[in-house]
Amino acid sequence: MLCKLAWGNVRRAGRDYLVYLLTLTLGVTVFYAFNTVSMQVDIAGIKEEGLSELMGSMLGYLTYFLAGVMAFLMVYANNFIMKRRKKEFGLYQVLGMRRGRVATIMALETVIVSVGAFVAGIVLGVGLSQLMTFFTASLFKTQIANFHFFFSVHAFNLTLACMLVMFVLTLLLNLRAVRRTKLIELMGAERRNESIKTRNPWIAIAIFVVGVVLVGVAYYRLLRDGFPLTATEGKLQEAMNQFGITTAMVTVGTFALFWGLSGMLIKLLQSLRSVYWRGLNMFTVRQLAAKVNTVCFSMGVIAMILFLAITSVTCGMSIANVMNENLERYNPVDVSQTYVYYTPETLDYYKEYVNPSEADRMVLADATVDLYAAWHGERKSADNNDEAGKKVNIADVAGEHVQIDSYLSYTLGGSDPSVTAGEMCKAMGEKLPKVLEGSNADDMGLFVTPASQYNKLRQMMGEEPVSIGRDQYVLTCDMGGELGDLYTKYMAGGHTLTLDGHELKPATDKSDEDTAAIANSAMGSNPGTVVVADELLSQLNLQPYSSNLLVNYKQGMDTTEADESIKYTLLDNLLVDGKEPGSWGVFITRSEMYTQAAQMNGMISYLAIYIGFVLVVACAAILSIQQLSNVADGSRSYRVLAQIGCDDRQIRHSVMAQQAVFFLFPLAVGLAHSFVALKVIIELVSTFGNMSIGGTVGLTCAIFLAAYGGYFLVTYLMSAGMVQAAIATRYSE
Amino acid sequence: MQTTQTATPVLEVAHLEKVYGALGNVTRALNDVSFTVNRGEFVGIMGASGSGKSTLLNCVSTIDSATSGTIRINGQDVTRMKQAKLSQFRREELGFIFQDSNLLDTLTARENIALPLTIARTNSAEISTRVQDVAARLSISQVLDKYPYQMSGGQQQRVAAARALVTDPTMIMADEPTGALDSKSARLLLESLEALNRRLRATVLMVTHDSFAASYTSRVLFIRDGKIFTELRRGDTDRREFFDRIMEVVAMMGGEGSDAL
Repeated sequence: MLCKLAWGNVRRAGRDYLVYLLTLTLGVTVFYAFNTVSMQVDIAGIKEEGLSELMGSMLGYLTYFLAGVMAFLMVYANNFIMKRRKKEFGLYQVLGMRRGRVATIMALETVIVSVGAFVAGIVLGVGLSQLMTFFTASLFKTQIANFHFFFSVHAFNLTLACMLVMFVLTLLLNLRAVRRTKLIELMGAERRNESIKTRNPWIAIAIFVVGVVLVGVAYYRLLRDGFPLTATEGKLQEAMNQFGITTAMVTVGTFALFWGLSGMLIKLLQSLRSVYWRGLNMFTVRQLAAKVNTVCFSMGVIAMILFLAITSVTCGMSIANVMNENLERYNPVDVSQTYVYYTPETLDYYKEYVNPSEADRMVLADATVDLYAAWHGERKSADNNDEAGKKVNIADVAGEHVQIDSYLSYTLGGSDPSVTAGEMCKAMGEKLPKVLEGSNADDMGLFVTPASQYNKLRQMMGEEPVSIGRDQYVLTCDMGGELGDLYTKYMAGGHTLTLDGHELKPATDKSDEDTAAIANSAMGSNPGTVVVADELLSQLNLQPYSSNLLVNYKQGMDTTEADESIKYTLLDNLLVDGKEPGSWGVFITRSEMYTQAAQMNGMISYLAIYIGFVLVVACAAILSIQQLSNVADGSRSYRVLAQIGCDDRQIRHSVMAQQAVFFLFPLAVGLAHSFVALKVIIELVSTFGNMSIGGTVGLTCAIFLAAYGGYFLVTYLMSAGMVQAAIATRYSE
Repeated sequence: MQTTQTATPVLEVAHLEKVYGALGNVTRALNDVSFTVNRGEFVGIMGASGSGKSTLLNCVSTIDSATSGTIRINGQDVTRMKQAKLSQFRREELGFIFQDSNLLDTLTARENIALPLTIARTNSAEISTRVQDVAARLSISQVLDKYPYQMSGGQQQRVAAARALVTDPTMIMADEPTGALDSKSARLLLESLEALNRRLRATVLMVTHDSFAASYTSRVLFIRDGKIFTELRRGDTDRREFFDRIMEVVAMMGGEGSDAL
């Protein structure tokens, strides 16, 4: 009996429950689908060990976050329904039903809807996760070899547990609502308080203007100061404080803006008399004003959340893109090995703090060493293979190879670099690139490399050698972006460099970033190098800094096998006259970099999409619920409009206009904030590479907008239906 | 005498029927109702709850559709009109006053009154003068810039009346306009309606179950069980006497075992 009643209620109140059902279903779908990511990674054929576990655990933490957001949404949607159903529950009590039974009916209703949502959500989630497998594969740049249908028991259990918790939570809230509320309140719940909050429009306008000014100043400050990431240590605290002020300004400004919005809108439109007194414009504006007053806070929150979501998604994915796009340039060869020479500072440090006896073995290098000859050693035993201890030599795998030596731009025993980016900027009268700002750019010198080595690398990469005369130089840098532009500009401008008393002229007018890498790397290895003629270099007696051996495997050799054969090698100490001039540095294979970048890219993309999607959907759902409840509250007004001869189309337009404002205003403000923030971020990141917003970012944003717009559309269609129903109701009822 | 005026019928209802429900479970809310209302008449429709008086008003006011029969307003048959045309018709020919004033909460009195005009896209200068005019006639000029919740019930009802009148409708439909008012406010509103009818020759059709309210009209139609039971004309009698005659009919209707009024 009670079940029948509950089922009937759910069907009858279907429209109210639909919002709840949709939100819950969507929650379950996203929840399930994202928790199957580790399984997707397996099926997508991504072999990298540990990745699926890592992804799984990362997303696992986010699951809690998602659960929190969803719980908030559930409670919000549930309150919406309860407000609508109060009278009915009151009626049962008036008819003599005990509270316990009323509560049971309500619990049953919640069970029906929750079970419905859960089943629908799991079905959709299973479907979505199959589709996402392809997406995962494309993110991680692999092909699906063996696709098969899968179902994750783990994700199912997790989703079920979360749903149960949420279910119990909403149930408790509802029971409390029934128990606490007095009968008279339940019965009268439909009668609204007809007084509306009115604000003095002039005060509202003033607040609005203050909001706009605050936001504007905050934008200006952000554009001027940037993020406090590049500040040097002394200034960091102050920069952070300034940034804090800017953040506070934009936050307060956003809320003020929404607070004053309604007054602003009214005054603005009223001053346009022929617009205001036309059709339903006046009604639309007043209706908006009345509602904006009560929801200005949530509109502000939504604008800020959208801002965060848009910014983090765009930014995260763009950085991942940059890394991916420049990968080829950053990794010119199959494998590279770095050797770093000791500097006077390292020696002093060892002598003083580490171990003087160890320092005795160390010596300041006066010449570079031959890495190709020195690269040999034993296979590490730590690795679980049966070849531990086997002798490994680079000559076993190496085909073409080149050694690039980087010298500091000062002579042995010196300490002041003669060529710095700071000096170059000064010479050209340019501002320092953002990334160098506040750092001690003047102390960091450029490296110096002999032309023969540079040209050999170019040849290896299929490029024409550059002829560099004794009094000429070429600047190289593989980081692109602002730094690369700086060097190109310097050379194109024909500026001279003075290296230890020798004045040099540019040999070309462009810094070629594609052949500038001096080792394999994830984010670039060469912040700036002066390439000079070998004769000059040998004459200068500069301090060696590092040597890099860049090796391509022998023709026809399998890359994976070659990687494997030299990967776990413990290189023998390199001794010159029984002393160590430096130490072995990083060993990087190209395939490793590619895999890492693909993983990083996939990871960032996943996180960005996951967080962004959840936030956007949550915002849209809240707006949707608010709007539907507005329409339900206003159904009487729409009936009146119909009766005094307003046709349906006009009424629908008014509803559309109202909802468009509610959906679009926070989005517009959020987008404006993001735009400014992204501009600064792009400037910052462009030091490393040309950050472009497009491709996956565009697609992701399109998906978000589709989700947001979809909610808008559904809300509008449902509202139009509610209005139609309200109009069709005979007023005698 | 009003009945002798050169009678141009504004409203002609002929053989009107309204049936609710499907086969086997039919409620006949209106059963062969026919009557006419002439220009400038103030007609009351009385009946008990469930007698069909509200259904009748709904059909006449084009909010509900009739099952059969015709309703002509100003010569136009509204039962044959398309939905889009009906909105326009309601807007141009009819004015509504409801039991609860049905003002829009978010609009000021001035805006509420202006609404039918803005919907009809009247230009803003004209809207302003017409609103002022009608407000002056109903003595609500001083509340024009207030919101409904800031006004008394009587004021709200008069604002609603102003909204009904502002378009100069062919006919004003009033559904229990005094139902939610105290007696003083009710009297004020009825007097306003009477004055509008007398001075401006506005045609008013008022549904009520209150004999006192009905006594302000010039003719009362009594409805019972979906049929016109009888009709009373006020003629030259004063309101007091008309009220007594109405009470007699009401008592008679009640005495025959129908619902008490």
